[in-house]
Amino acid sequence: MDDDEAIARSLAGDLSAYEALVARYSTLAHRTAAMLGAGDEAEDVVQEAFVKAYRHLSSFRRDAPFRPWLLRIVANETHNLTRSRGRRSELTVRLSATVSATAPDDPEGAAVAGDRRSRLLEAVRRLPDRERQAVICRYFLQLSEAETAQVLDWPLGTVKSSTHRGLARLREEVGHDVT
Amino acid sequence: MTSPDPFDDLEAELLALPDAFDLPSPPPGQVAAAVRERLEEPARAPAKRRRRWQVAIAAVLAVVAVTALTPQGRAAVAHVLRLAGIEIRIGAAAPTATPSARLPGERPVATSDLGGLVKFRVRTPAELGEPDEALVSDQGRVVSMRWKAIRLDQFDGGLSPVFLKEMGPPWPEEVAIGDASGWWITGSHTLSYLARADGSRLPLRVAGDVLIWERDGLGFRLEGVKDRAEAVKIAASLRP
Repeated sequence: MDDDEAIARSLAGDLSAYEALVARYSTLAHRTAAMLGAGDEAEDVVQEAFVKAYRHLSSFRRDAPFRPWLLRIVANETHNLTRSRGRRSELTVRLSATVSATAPDDPEGAAVAGDRRSRLLEAVRRLPDRERQAVICRYFLQLSEAETAQVLDWPLGTVKSSTHRGLARLREEVGHDVT
Repeated sequence: MTSPDPFDDLEAELLALPDAFDLPSPPPGQVAAAVRERLEEPARAPAKRRRRWQVAIAAVLAVVAVTALTPQGRAAVAHVLRLAGIEIRIGAAAPTATPSARLPGERPVATSDLGGLVKFRVRTPAELGEPDEALVSDQGRVVSMRWKAIRLDQFDGGLSPVFLKEMGPPWPEEVAIGDASGWWITGSHTLSYLARADGSRLPLRVAGDVLIWERDGLGFRLEGVKDRAEAVKIAASLRP
């Protein structure tokens, strides 16, 4: 069952079809919410977003892709949450302690790579809001420029310029000593 | 700039970084089942209007619980209501005069052009006929129509708040508009616009009696009609 068929059946009231759609996008929705600032409350945000998406499914344009439409709702819910908490939308993810990109018999190399990753993450975290959101969508979530524009509800030009500025700033902070 | 293609390295690093994130998410099947359970809930409730009201109450309780957590929240706002893309904070300071501001990018357009400028289907209240003026704001997010002192705003308000109203008591009064519910707000309150990009607040003006309601996921606010019954009649006459 592809997205379009699942949506058609959901619109006809088939909740099993919608369940399949939720399961398909659940992990991506959680990653999006968590990275855009929902932190520990990503689960609540995602559930709310899927409930809202179902209720607004009739306004979804069937010739358009479902993924960015859904993620925009997730981004909105995340935004509502951070705003109602009166806090900034922060990137709160942590690096896993166990992951190593280098061979296990090279502890020194692993430590250097790990240090590099934490500095890069810290630099992304410190970016101005717009640049950080653009970098998160374009690289961490691997969305296209057009998808990012839809998810963040920005003009395409803003996505391009914010990504560009964010990359330039990151390069300035951590880019000169690539290992 | 010594390295030939510095951004490529950085971009590759950024793309790989999430692999190292500690981001557990619940099993998709479990999320799907929880969502389904929530979607099935309303089907057991007795009547549609009651359901909506219960949802509103639940939302209010949730937000009140949150605002009560911070000392500033408790001092400034007693209750928060959300309906149709409008957030209402009750118990805020009484409105003081604010300079009248326009919505971002507000510009007059021909009524016949509205369809091509906004993403949602624009409706006109048959009771009022053709507006004297039609306005589009914030890249098609809000459509406004004016008839002398009356103003109707319509917007895609289902997903995130578009307007913020801050007011003292009394509590808004729930009214029925066809089979949908709306709120009638009496007395003056501060009306602000919440920017699409970051939710930042643009104070617009002190507004008077207003009817707000939701239809097909769109939010509507009617301003400038003094009589509640008259406002409801206009709201119920939206076409197409």
